[in-house]
Amino acid sequence: MNAQAAAPSHWQRLWQESWEARAPERHWLGLCAFAVSVGFLLIFGAQRSVEHLIEPRDLLPLALYLPSLVVVHLTLVTVRFRGDQLMVAVVALLSGLGILMHYRLGAFNADTLAEAARDYALYPVCMGVMVLTVLAGMRGRYRHLAAWPWLWALLSIGLLVVVVATGHRYRGAIYAAGLLTPSEFLKITVVCYLAAAIAARATALSAWRFGLLPPLRALLPLAAVWLLLCGLLLWQRDLGMFAILNLVLLLLLTLGTGRSGYLLFSAALAVGSTLLLLRFFSHGARRVEAWLNPFSDPTGASWQLLQGLSGMYSGGLWGRGFGAGNPEYIPIAASDFVYAVLGEELGFVGSLLVVVFFLVLFQRGFAIALRCRSSFARLLAAGLTAVLAVQSFLNLGGVTKLIPLTGITLPFISQGGSSLLASLIAVGLTLAISDGEPKRAAKSRPRRKKT
Amino acid sequence: MNPLATFNTLIASPAWPTLQLGLHGLFFLALLYLLKRLFDLRLVAAPAALPKSKSPLGAPLVLVILGLAFGAVLAYQASWQLMGMMRPNFIDFMQTYDRRQFNPAHRIQRGRIADWHGQVLAYSREAAGRVQRVYPYGAAFAHVVGYQDATFGATGLEGSANAYLNGSTPVDLRAWRDLGQQVLIQREPRGQDLVLTLDATLQRQAFAVLEGRAGAVVMLRPGDGAVRVLASAPAFDPNQIEASLFQPDDPQARLLNRALQGRYPPGSTFKLVVAAAALAAGATGPVQCDAEGYTTSARYPLIRDHDYYAARRRGTVWTGHGHLTLGRALAESCNVFFAKTGVQLGHRRFAQALQDFLFDQRIALHSSAYGSLMMLTGEAPRMTASDRYGLAQASIGQGRMLMTPAHLALITGAIANDGLAVRPRLVKKDQPEVLARMMPASDARRLQPMMRRVVTEGTARSINASGLAIAGKTGTAQNSDGPPHSWFVGYAPADRYDPKRTLAIAVLVEQGGYGSSVAAPLARDLLLQAQQLGLLP
Repeated sequence: MNAQAAAPSHWQRLWQESWEARAPERHWLGLCAFAVSVGFLLIFGAQRSVEHLIEPRDLLPLALYLPSLVVVHLTLVTVRFRGDQLMVAVVALLSGLGILMHYRLGAFNADTLAEAARDYALYPVCMGVMVLTVLAGMRGRYRHLAAWPWLWALLSIGLLVVVVATGHRYRGAIYAAGLLTPSEFLKITVVCYLAAAIAARATALSAWRFGLLPPLRALLPLAAVWLLLCGLLLWQRDLGMFAILNLVLLLLLTLGTGRSGYLLFSAALAVGSTLLLLRFFSHGARRVEAWLNPFSDPTGASWQLLQGLSGMYSGGLWGRGFGAGNPEYIPIAASDFVYAVLGEELGFVGSLLVVVFFLVLFQRGFAIALRCRSSFARLLAAGLTAVLAVQSFLNLGGVTKLIPLTGITLPFISQGGSSLLASLIAVGLTLAISDGEPKRAAKSRPRRKKT
Repeated sequence: MNPLATFNTLIASPAWPTLQLGLHGLFFLALLYLLKRLFDLRLVAAPAALPKSKSPLGAPLVLVILGLAFGAVLAYQASWQLMGMMRPNFIDFMQTYDRRQFNPAHRIQRGRIADWHGQVLAYSREAAGRVQRVYPYGAAFAHVVGYQDATFGATGLEGSANAYLNGSTPVDLRAWRDLGQQVLIQREPRGQDLVLTLDATLQRQAFAVLEGRAGAVVMLRPGDGAVRVLASAPAFDPNQIEASLFQPDDPQARLLNRALQGRYPPGSTFKLVVAAAALAAGATGPVQCDAEGYTTSARYPLIRDHDYYAARRRGTVWTGHGHLTLGRALAESCNVFFAKTGVQLGHRRFAQALQDFLFDQRIALHSSAYGSLMMLTGEAPRMTASDRYGLAQASIGQGRMLMTPAHLALITGAIANDGLAVRPRLVKKDQPEVLARMMPASDARRLQPMMRRVVTEGTARSINASGLAIAGKTGTAQNSDGPPHSWFVGYAPADRYDPKRTLAIAVLVEQGGYGSSVAAPLARDLLLQAQQLGLLP
């Protein structure tokens, strides 16, 4: 026993406090680590064959996952982060499932360790970026994001221009060279722009004439940016992103102004533009045709969809077992169709559980948004969560044939570095918001001091 | 001890499959437990730095919207993942293109198809990990039972009862239990058996006598529509479906179900319809029927009787029928009488008769949500009100008048059934259903003895059998392709009506020649066979 232990310093006391406050997160992360480890055991068991013994190298993905959770947790404790703990745990679980799926689908299979380094580094780096985002934005520092809405607009358009200028056509849409998809980051920049712009002009935007006509003058700058953005997206034929961003615009306008009229107008606009799109974009019309009549061209346009569904049917209620399915029959199973592989190997029960975890995440995100007093924080949290929710819905709905395929990834689980990074940054920002509102905003509303 | 080496031996050991199952369960349990703990500690871990939500309705609303959207995804997913056998197209796709060895679609024990007393007409057999459909009688049932092939799809009853045969439309407790076990413990899928109204012996005999010719036989019980024979030739072997069968220019048209879909000029068999219309209008003669024939205008060729041409071939002169009443005209199949009567009835009554007798329709013999087995009814030429010659031609079943064997069997059955047409049905448990009243019962009872007269003293007297009173009508239908089509339609017994033990029949032999010499003896043989089987008194 030394003297320090008897009389803990101020910093030690604070650390102790924070360590105790974040006990649920620790507990949950432990359970995540356990579940993901069991998943790895299952995959090892299914992959073991005469020529393939399980080597230390096979443990590497797991060996990178577990410490990543420890580092995230310890960092959040050390900086006395007061924000949400549940989102951290759910994201850890979903991204853990993602690693399981990547490993199972052969992501870490490069011949040399150096070649595989990119795969190995991806997850720790992305989690690191999430924590850095939290660090940068917490204690209300995220309010600086609202300072220059125009910057976000320029950045979004710039991102798209870069993609259009350098990208090449791949699967009907333009993806940037190097398989890094900058348009993934649009989800963040556009939400930042919308949240900042709408929060700044909320009063003007909610001043409807006679309660019937939207304030056109206030909407003008927003509409200009939006037209440019949508034009570029359609030029790229990125219909999935087009759908996500428009739905988020609709939500944020309504939430930011409290005018449900925006909902009606945009719904009408959405129906109109969808019909127009289907008429003029063969790419989209083909997908709708493959969706409505999958059996008219089963070996062509509908092959991927039907193979995915066949896999799920083969999995049944309980699934074939992790690693025991045949995802090799589904084209590009690792990215867009990862959910079909999940359905095949974990069965309907497994996919139900995964969907429930997604719902918990989204519910928490929106709950955080609803608890924010400042308009910008509320819009930003709601917008980022909505992006993830809409993206998940479009992906799951597409794979299960509920809606036409839009060719977008499933957050956290699909393979694809840009998608994972963008999704984790979005979660990081939401977490930062959950840490509390800016001091300045707090001062302007002394009533809140009571709590 | 090296843990990795231990693990490697463990997963190679025979205990691993059991252990793997346990780990699979443990994985689910771990996720469930995590969910429970997330719920337990959700409030403790909520961000304390944020104020309480101002809108109490916000969070529940969000949950409802999210739940609806993602619940829809899951429900729809279940309709494929758990209830995929409800989608015959999907099962076909998987049986053709899915290479997953363990896919249950490859091992569906499809239900058997049997005739009315249990003779099996189709069953599934498993060979080399794949199920295969077997049709013991080959081509004899090729059209009505159809085929089920993963590549070429399903036709006939295999198609219209597809989902039922795959076991996805449970009708009783046992089927529900089977379905539940299939979904819950992934037991091998098993379908339900389908019992038909067909009679395998009669059907095979009908197909055998058509062998080498093209034609169709339809035999049904008029009282409740139970179809006993539905044969069409030439056919194909449903055990060996091959791509060459589907060439659109197959001169034999082996895929065509002639009984239900083949449209032919009905010739004199159509006179039954005109006779019914004449009875309704009271136009029963007598009519002067000269040997020179009849036409509506000098510009058109004369419509003459068969006897005129027969006499001319013999080098003699026929003096004509003279005055004929309806009954005698039907027995002699007098073209002049029916051409004149048709013109006398006029377009309006003629069109009314076509409507009463269900022309221009598609009638389902069996239907489910996944498809129907349809019969076509006749197709009458469109005529302008001034086209009297067209009417005369149509009245003797020529011109552009076309009918299917099944339609003529339906009409003949309705006459035997005192004017009431019952929907032909192939599946035993389908309930009988009245389609239409084709003619008043009093008219039907007047027409019945006239049809009997056709066999006792008319054109079909060659088939008059002592043990069975057959009533009928022959037809010799001219067509542009060659020799005339040979028709016979009829029913038995004609001397007493017993709804349980009466059969109506329609026989068509494509370009077979005279109805009285080809189709009529075939029909008689089949009816006598049915009598031997106890289907007729």
